Amino acid sequence: MTSSHLTAETFDRNARAALQDTQLRGALRNATTLFGERRRAAIGTVADWEGLRDQARAIKDDVLLHLDRYLEEFTANAEGAGATVHWARDAAEACDVIARIAAERGARSVVKSKSMATEEVHLNAALARLGIEPVETDLGEYIIQLAGETPSHIVVPAIHKTKAQIAALFAEKLGTAASDDVATLTAAARQALRQRFAEADLGISGVNFAVAETGTILILENEGNARLTTTLPRTHVALMGIEKVIPRFEDLAVFLELLPRSGTGQRLTTYQSLLTGTKRRPDGEGPEELHLVLLDNGRSRMLARPVTRQSLACIRCGACLNACPVYQQIGGHAYGSVYPGPIGAVITPQLFGIEHSAQLPYASSLCGACREVCPVKIDIPALLLHLRSEVIESGAGGGHRLEALAFRAYGLMMRHPRLFAWATRLARRVQRLARVGDRIGKANPLAARLVPPLGAWTAWRDLRPLAPRSFREQWRDRR
Amino acid sequence: MSGPGDARSAILDAIRQRLAESAAHEGAHGAPHDPPPPAARPISGNGKVLPVLGDVKFPVGGALDAQPAAMGTPLERFREQASAVGAACEVVRNEAAARETIARILAAAGARKVACSDAPLARSLTRGAGAGGGLGVRDVAGLTREQLFVCDAGVTTAQWGIAETGTLVLESARERHRLLSLVPPVHIALLSTSRICATLGDVLARVHPAGAGRDVESHAITFITGPSRTSDIELTLAIGVHGPQALHIVLVDAEV
Repeated sequence: MTSSHLTAETFDRNARAALQDTQLRGALRNATTLFGERRRAAIGTVADWEGLRDQARAIKDDVLLHLDRYLEEFTANAEGAGATVHWARDAAEACDVIARIAAERGARSVVKSKSMATEEVHLNAALARLGIEPVETDLGEYIIQLAGETPSHIVVPAIHKTKAQIAALFAEKLGTAASDDVATLTAAARQALRQRFAEADLGISGVNFAVAETGTILILENEGNARLTTTLPRTHVALMGIEKVIPRFEDLAVFLELLPRSGTGQRLTTYQSLLTGTKRRPDGEGPEELHLVLLDNGRSRMLARPVTRQSLACIRCGACLNACPVYQQIGGHAYGSVYPGPIGAVITPQLFGIEHSAQLPYASSLCGACREVCPVKIDIPALLLHLRSEVIESGAGGGHRLEALAFRAYGLMMRHPRLFAWATRLARRVQRLARVGDRIGKANPLAARLVPPLGAWTAWRDLRPLAPRSFREQWRDRR
Repeated sequence: MSGPGDARSAILDAIRQRLAESAAHEGAHGAPHDPPPPAARPISGNGKVLPVLGDVKFPVGGALDAQPAAMGTPLERFREQASAVGAACEVVRNEAAARETIARILAAAGARKVACSDAPLARSLTRGAGAGGGLGVRDVAGLTREQLFVCDAGVTTAQWGIAETGTLVLESARERHRLLSLVPPVHIALLSTSRICATLGDVLARVHPAGAGRDVESHAITFITGPSRTSDIELTLAIGVHGPQALHIVLVDAEV
């Protein structure tokens, strides 16, 4: 699901449009700068941050290498504690399972807490076809649901909206007075959603971590909406990617130390709910039923190579988005995917097909900022390079024929020294047309408007001209 | 139409197949983008081993904000961290003092409809002389959902505290009314100071569902760090979104 018409296929165009949006760029600059500062301060409170990252990555590597075993262990323990575990090979199957659960129970009022997996499978659309409209209860998700948009950031989905825009939205959809005071807006949302919580008969959530040893799922949040969603209704459905499982209960400490600090600079988010099956007494608080839906949807395919397998280590903290110089300028919608930013650029092609997102692996200068901040040390630049080679090999990029030809010519030239020398002498003559002083580029109208792909370089940068005598010529003369 | 077991076997088979593929591929030759083997150390002209970039440890965060070594007692650290996240803390000596403190908090908050958990540490507030009617606090027994949603304040216990983050931990087997810590706009939590652990890891060891299946006592363990909050609107902090707007922690300094 994408914001209006934006898809990953038109990433280049989306990015250019986003760059024109000065309000968006300002909002992104504020958000990513603030998150970056807070993250730096927060990781300073940990004695051995690097050691913690290594530990987390080692745990994830172990899980992924034995994923089948850990999933079986998790399922057995969760079922033993009273949960019902369902398996979904793809998005359609996940939606079918959840829709069936809702329909069988005659669910009329459904509340949802934040779950990227449910957006990945387009769950809301599937339920809407049954006449069920789940209300998003995370404030950011609620805002974009009212606006009919998609999230633009993993952690703060409505970061692209100003207070004024939100005030106008609430005035229109909720009939509230158009005040852009944040406390007032928040109170309006709280008020509107409280009734929905009170009468909800089905709650749908995501899962941050699933513990194989005990069958426990962990959900973290700041607002309290996930606690309400998973405690008040009589049925709770939790959708999780199969990569969310971790081996032992004690491993939670490692990830809880890493995730909040990396994502928002908090030591801990306000609430963590650790749920192991259903309530033990019928008169206790909590749902009667817990349904866990384990989602593959392309994840198992990523296990086939170490370089792609590490994609599954992601804990969805959002740190890479905040650090990425590309994301910082264009925001999430330009990626045309529910998963934006650096991690989105690598998992979107793998989950949804490289043929639909061939431009995304190129949305990077390979600066490595993402790899630096990733709490589980995912080597995103290596993944981007791997995906670029897949784009070329599969022809998914639509074939840069001119580029392929240029590289073949280059290869030919490099293998034949006399050809290389001749080409250099020719280039030295031709460049006189384009050079201005000691530069070739913007100063000369001819050079600046060169045919792409060369024009893409000279439109923004200068080239140094070739020297009057090459090194080889000088060397030969000295002998 | 395929049965539910089909998806399970299909997914597990796919996983095993891909992992086998990966093992075979790695056995045959190293993958192109796998991390390279550690490079030999460069040696200068006079035979000295030169330092490489990885040897230099850049300080993380400023010197001022790095506080890895814990200072003070667990109680002191707990209070410091809890205040940092916006929770109000008070230490009291006994039940009577707890009751007085809670009465003061409720009066200051203008809370008229207050419900209280029946967990041991909180029970005295609704039972015995001077309790219940005196405080205007009712027992949670028989509280309907409608009544819960119009409560001004909820009083619960907490089973553990985490000093390094100022966090309260509630176990559903022992604190059976955690909705009182979530629905009303004011939450008052009673915690014994003897239950404050140093770190998150310590608490996890104590709440570990040691049994299996239905033997696990507490199906829900809840960690609470400060009042409810969000920064979803222009990254501006707003307190009290869906959960409580105010969190008061009454630390009882007695063996319970």
